[in-house]
Amino acid sequence: VIDLVSERTHLATAAPVDLFTLGRQAAARAREANLGRGVFARARQLLGTGAWRGPRDAADAYVEDQDLGALGGLSAAVEAGARTLVTAQAASLREAGELRKLLRLPYRAGESEAERLGRLDEVAALVRGGLALDGVLPSPEGEPLGLDTVRFVALCRMHLAVPHVIVDFARLGHRLAQMCLGFGADELFGPIVSERALRLGDNAGNPAMTRKEAATLIRGAGLQPFERSAGGVLAPFELGAAPAPIPVRGEQ
Amino acid sequence: MSTMAKIREKLAAGERLDLDDGIALFKHPNLLEVGALANEVRERLHGQRTYFNRNFHINATNVCVASCMFCSFARLKEGDTGAYTMKLDEAWGKLQARVDAGEPVTEIHIVNGLHDGLPFDYYTDLLAGLKRIKPSIHLKAFTAVELFYYHQRYGMSVEEVLTRLRAAGLDSLPGGGAEIFAPRVRKKICDDKCTADQWLDVHRTAHRMGLRSNCTMLYGTIETLEERVDHMLRLRALQDETGGFQTFIPLAFHPDNNALMKLPAPTGTEDLRTYAVARLMLDNIPHLKAYWIMLGVKTAQTALWFGANDLDGTVQEEKIYHMAGAETPQAMTSDEIVRIIREAGREPVERDTLYNVIAEGEALISDKPFRRTVRRSLEVVS
Repeated sequence: VIDLVSERTHLATAAPVDLFTLGRQAAARAREANLGRGVFARARQLLGTGAWRGPRDAADAYVEDQDLGALGGLSAAVEAGARTLVTAQAASLREAGELRKLLRLPYRAGESEAERLGRLDEVAALVRGGLALDGVLPSPEGEPLGLDTVRFVALCRMHLAVPHVIVDFARLGHRLAQMCLGFGADELFGPIVSERALRLGDNAGNPAMTRKEAATLIRGAGLQPFERSAGGVLAPFELGAAPAPIPVRGEQ
Repeated sequence: MSTMAKIREKLAAGERLDLDDGIALFKHPNLLEVGALANEVRERLHGQRTYFNRNFHINATNVCVASCMFCSFARLKEGDTGAYTMKLDEAWGKLQARVDAGEPVTEIHIVNGLHDGLPFDYYTDLLAGLKRIKPSIHLKAFTAVELFYYHQRYGMSVEEVLTRLRAAGLDSLPGGGAEIFAPRVRKKICDDKCTADQWLDVHRTAHRMGLRSNCTMLYGTIETLEERVDHMLRLRALQDETGGFQTFIPLAFHPDNNALMKLPAPTGTEDLRTYAVARLMLDNIPHLKAYWIMLGVKTAQTALWFGANDLDGTVQEEKIYHMAGAETPQAMTSDEIVRIIREAGREPVERDTLYNVIAEGEALISDKPFRRTVRRSLEVVS
């Protein structure tokens, strides 16, 4: 496994560890941690207004840290049905009790890998100190770049002893989110809906995907797709038959 | 010995990969193994250098007699909703405006529908007018499909078509229209187009006349992996014969607004794998272009580590793929492209169409910060 102390030394003196070495090792560590599973869940979000965004029959219900104030605090959010807390403030996770705890880790184009490793060090220290993180969500500030993102995902996997490195496909886009699954991420986060959204007109930027699309992305990245149920249980997701072939013109 | 080890040995010994090797690379479970191999070849050929140019597109008409199932751009006849044909003044005006603004554009990429109502002079006048405005501009114009159509429509040989267009200002050919060479697929998705052999013959003729060209492959519709590899091998064979191809451009299928919209779009890992396999199979085509318009900027940047060594250009006003649902910007500035390349750990090189270096190193330094706004996520309630 990659030695992150050498990585830092290396950073100070020369180019960072080769992308493929880092990616291979992060992917291997993710497989080890999650037995080759790639996970998705139908989730809905509790907004600051008290309204829900996402499917009614979602298995997971999450609230973002910044909405807690408007909702009247964490206990009010839990009472309203939130089961997962997503935050960029590690400190607020200490109060999260039985909620699933996901920490957003910001990164931005142009910052050095040393800076990133410094931030990851702080989170790693909190985890070692007993913070029970369920997962981290690398979260770009501004438009994410491809290599930047896969590299940061791999660093998260290598540097943090957390069960899940989760990719937010609404922020990263489907293609990049899937690539991250090959660099140590193991879970897709974002709107998963019943019907494929036709991306036309005002809906052109709709990031939603269906369960089948999520499973296809996971399988395409070489992982076995699993869906998280309401109780947090992971069940394998079967993709089913391939679509019917397109008929040749002139043939029925 | 594992398949991958055999392929690695072949590459080290300078041996060519065959159909079975190509399929094995597509099916190999570990994308990063394939990518690392492609990256070795890429770095052996080009080191860290990554090319781009300053170009823009003219799609002079979208009226097209063909009804390709993957196309969202074409309209069958004039008067149909969304159909357009530019007046020559309008097309020329696009270059004139850039010249007036002092934009250092070096290339115009011209691709059109197969319009059955235009005289051949429309195309020669289009080129000649552009050259009049800026004689040094490189006109990379008309796919082999268009050129073959002109041969049929105007009763001239392909050579004669090319000769007349060249006299009017044609400098090189883009690589579009190849789609997938397998007859099974062409019959289903683009039956109206010229055949694979006809497409290859047009390029053979152009190369024989001293014109350079690019080549493409549309992937992600209904083709098999074998058909993708076969496509690459047919291009490689023609390149052995003529040496006229400069760049191979894998084109990712976009499923929106066309008859294949039920198919899923190619995924990110599929994109990267296709680029990597192409770099390994096409040992005689020097450049591999990550066409950011189709791939998206993020995937295109990542592809620079999976075999690609070119990001195409500044583009501007691309219509064909945006009408098929491409969510990429319509244009990027050269500063943006330089920064994307640098942030990938590569060295940007501004080129002309024929890969002559225009600027590199210090000449490309820009202090402008790279900032593009995040596309807002829409609220989704199902």
